[in-house]
Amino acid sequence: MDKWFLALYLALVVMGLSTVYASSLGDDIGSLFSWKEDYGKQFYWILISLFMGIMILLMEGTFLKNSSYIIYGVVVFLLVLVLFMPSINGAHSWFKIGSFTIQPAEFAKVACAMAFAKYMSTTGVRIENFKTKLNVFLLLFCPMVLIVLEPDPGTGLVFMSFIFVMYREGLSGNVLLLGFFSLIIGVISVYIASFETVEINNAAIEAITASGEEFNPRDYVELARPDGYFSSNYILAGLVILLGVLGFAVTRIFVLPRYRKNYYPAIIWSSIFAVLFILSINWAYDNVFQNRHRTRFQIQFGLKLDRKDAGYNIYQALSAIGSGEASGKGYLQGTLSNNKFKHVPEQSTDFIFCSWAEERGFVGSLVLICVFVAFLLRAIIIAERQRSVYTRIFAYSIASIMFFHFLINLGMVIGLVPVIGIPLPFFSKGGSAILGFSAMVFILLRLDAERKDVLR
Amino acid sequence: MDPFQNRRWVIILTIFTIGVIFIVRLLYIQVLDDKWSKRSEEITHSEKSLKPSRGLIYDRNGKLLVEASQVYDIYVFPDEIGEVDTNELANFFDLTREEFDTKLNKAIAYASYKPSIFIEGMNKEDYSKIAFQLPSKKGFHEERNTQRGYPEHVAAHVLGYIGIINEKEYLADKASEEPYYKMTDYIGKTGIELVYEKELRGRRGVVSYLKDRLGNEKVDIEQESAVAGHNLYTTLDLDLQKYAESLMHNKIGCVVAIEPATGEILSMVSAPFYDPELFVGRDLGKNYAKIAKEDTLNLKPLINKSIYNDTYRPGSIFKLVQALIGMQEGVITANTPFACNKSLINCHNHPSPTNVSIAIQHSCNPYFYQVYKRLIQRGEDPSVYKDSRIGIEKWAKSVRSFGLGVKLNTDLTGIKSGNIPDANYYDNEFPPNKPYGKYSWAFSTIYSNSIGEGEIGVAPIQMANLAAIIANRGYYYTPHLVRKIGENGQKREEYLEKHYTVVDAKYFEPIVNAMEQVVVNGTARRAQIDSISVCGKTGTVQNATTNDHSVFIAFAPKENPKIAVAVYVEYGTWGGTWAAPIASLVIEKYLNGKLSEKGKKKELRVLNETILTKNQVFK
Repeated sequence: MDKWFLALYLALVVMGLSTVYASSLGDDIGSLFSWKEDYGKQFYWILISLFMGIMILLMEGTFLKNSSYIIYGVVVFLLVLVLFMPSINGAHSWFKIGSFTIQPAEFAKVACAMAFAKYMSTTGVRIENFKTKLNVFLLLFCPMVLIVLEPDPGTGLVFMSFIFVMYREGLSGNVLLLGFFSLIIGVISVYIASFETVEINNAAIEAITASGEEFNPRDYVELARPDGYFSSNYILAGLVILLGVLGFAVTRIFVLPRYRKNYYPAIIWSSIFAVLFILSINWAYDNVFQNRHRTRFQIQFGLKLDRKDAGYNIYQALSAIGSGEASGKGYLQGTLSNNKFKHVPEQSTDFIFCSWAEERGFVGSLVLICVFVAFLLRAIIIAERQRSVYTRIFAYSIASIMFFHFLINLGMVIGLVPVIGIPLPFFSKGGSAILGFSAMVFILLRLDAERKDVLR
Repeated sequence: MDPFQNRRWVIILTIFTIGVIFIVRLLYIQVLDDKWSKRSEEITHSEKSLKPSRGLIYDRNGKLLVEASQVYDIYVFPDEIGEVDTNELANFFDLTREEFDTKLNKAIAYASYKPSIFIEGMNKEDYSKIAFQLPSKKGFHEERNTQRGYPEHVAAHVLGYIGIINEKEYLADKASEEPYYKMTDYIGKTGIELVYEKELRGRRGVVSYLKDRLGNEKVDIEQESAVAGHNLYTTLDLDLQKYAESLMHNKIGCVVAIEPATGEILSMVSAPFYDPELFVGRDLGKNYAKIAKEDTLNLKPLINKSIYNDTYRPGSIFKLVQALIGMQEGVITANTPFACNKSLINCHNHPSPTNVSIAIQHSCNPYFYQVYKRLIQRGEDPSVYKDSRIGIEKWAKSVRSFGLGVKLNTDLTGIKSGNIPDANYYDNEFPPNKPYGKYSWAFSTIYSNSIGEGEIGVAPIQMANLAAIIANRGYYYTPHLVRKIGENGQKREEYLEKHYTVVDAKYFEPIVNAMEQVVVNGTARRAQIDSISVCGKTGTVQNATTNDHSVFIAFAPKENPKIAVAVYVEYGTWGGTWAAPIASLVIEKYLNGKLSEKGKKKELRVLNETILTKNQVFK
């Protein structure tokens, strides 16, 4: 059994529990063992998780492997069933049993990881094949759609993380590159469009003030870019064409004639795709998105400061994190992100990092990120030393899932990624989440413990 | 062998890169840039002020004139109300739908994005009915404040009133060296409340605290407690003030009573007056308008005539000043006789005065015509015009030493100076549209001044002060209204300073004797009090088309005077008819505490006569 991985897991759980306690503490200092309080429930969920972990460690690895599809089937069934449950907070995501709630979507992640690993490790299945791609797509798409229907789009998005595993298992790197460049081009063109809109609005506001009228921000309606406005996105598209021509010329001059035809289609198609992508985003910005979306873009890019409506959450979160400064306010000394002050919304679930960063400061933030990165790297080290393909793929799957959570959740609270509701593993309050993530860890520990006994 | 083994490095590198990006970003937010930590303080820190209690106001014997009670002002923040049942809200505040809409629209018209006053001065009982549910009404909140109460319902003009600070006052305070007020504070608007605002208001305390998302106070960080305002002990005598008001309630005019030895104002009445209780709390504006609207005779009840109305001519009481200055300047002696020559100026029938005392006793017009002529035309220049200029300058200077024609530094606002004309006045100001001009007027133009008519204007407080000067035989303390600031305090220093007139004390004796005679067997026999020797002088201020004004000044007792009084009754005809009996009643009540049989008869006559019209016929 891998002691390092277990130790890092336990460290994260203890850090997480202490933060849940700090962030859900109200006016009175309550007991950690209190049933009625959120932190008490979290404590008992952790105990249940550890008990479950011991049970998993007592199982045979092959038994776990062989039950992958069954577990997957049960979870998909639960995901269908949960849609008929009464809604809580506007979503049909939970089974309610007494004062406890169970969220099947949290178990769907581990179930998918097992089923995915099981399918991909079947002899003869290769990700390069179209049929495999289709099957994998269906396997992941079913739970994903059911979760989005709840609706819980954040958790649905988590299934995108399997792309990393597929890449490791042979999916063409071009897919990742395509995604990466699309993201960059998209961000740049939305940024340009947002910037131009802000400029236009600032000029309009200045004109109002200059004319001597009183400017009331509440009455002011945001202007979109006018029809026929010459956006810098056109220049960007022109630059892409220029780059394509340049690439064409470079190929023509430096590449041997017999290899040239391998490059031409890539250059031509990617140029056309990029230009169309830029132009369609530029068009959509004015014609598909509405003012509220545009405002969100502007806030995200830091072009506009909004502390009331769309930007409220992130403004409060950043204030809380920033107030921690270098060494933090001290444990239980927070003045924003806890249940006593409630300045940060969702302070013990999605925005729980604020509580940690406020009370532990930058030193704490550094420790948290290092422990998390070490935990993820350790999972990859474990993956790479397996002879069993199933174990390797499963290890990569859980590393990818947790990395995705880490990326989106932390990126969101520090204002780098749009606000998407997804928990920070081992930190965010929630019984199903801690149970699901613990299951991933203990299954991997069990499988890894048998690495020398299995051949494939 | 696994052909894609090396791809692990791409994934490891990605994880690593994201970790580094996050660390750099957090380093920036938490350590390098203090913008967010400053913003966090804006979110969590708040301050609230602790309002000091306003000082109380007592009379000279420690009886309470103005009390202070707690009230609650409800403020509205129109943008935050949201979608609610307006009828229910109106009900909640115990308003009709129309009242509610009017108030809300007024607030919106002021500014919908900041709080403005919604209900002013809600008392404790009313507030306790809504206190529990108020926090749940979005857009409304309360401010605790002090409200005045007037248990005795007297002296409205003197005490003044308080109200929420208006924009003009707020901006003026902002521009001052030590800005103090907030937009929700109360401030003295008139009277003592205004003049002693700084002493009465106390000092505000501050608590800075950490708040939660809803603004609830969670943890106090720092506290500085409020300091209560000083109580004021006024110079007013409550019983006398009440009594004087009862005598004047159906008349137009003033009663001012001063303690000559100190300059303390014992009573100050300007009739018609109003109940100060009308200017309390939520109905202030309504009652203000109501008083103005009900004033169909244009009697201006809101104005304190005793200090503000300085166009009152003094009439014959001014002869006292003329006689004193005449003797001091040496143009007459106490025994100078003048014939009662009615061809100079009209007079009533009486024997020709053989000395100043008799002239005053009979209020002889021609006598003072001649005194004034000697004062103005002194023969210092052959030209009568130039001579009159020299004379009037000297005369005006002397008269002003009596506190006439100059602004008395009394602790009230809105005090007027009155008018004692000098050379410049006739050159450039009188008559208003076409002034005489230099060297085109002489004694013959201005002789009406000799008997207190003409261009002389005097406020009633100045008349009372004149009585005090004669009582003191030549000096006065500036009349004032507050004798003690705080329990162990002093009065303002300027009120401890003696002001001497230009006239020596020895010239006052014949005048005092004459004033005694005026009461004993002259024009003011109605002012007699059996046990007290009253000295007085009547005045009858001539009006061209209406009844004359009735004026009387007096002090008593003759030796060691305790009270000096001026009474002005508009349209009361002779000075002896109404002003003299009213003054004697005030004196008797103050000195004896009760009235004699004779006094009670006098009182009945005064109380029963209403003098509000200009041509009333008296039986």
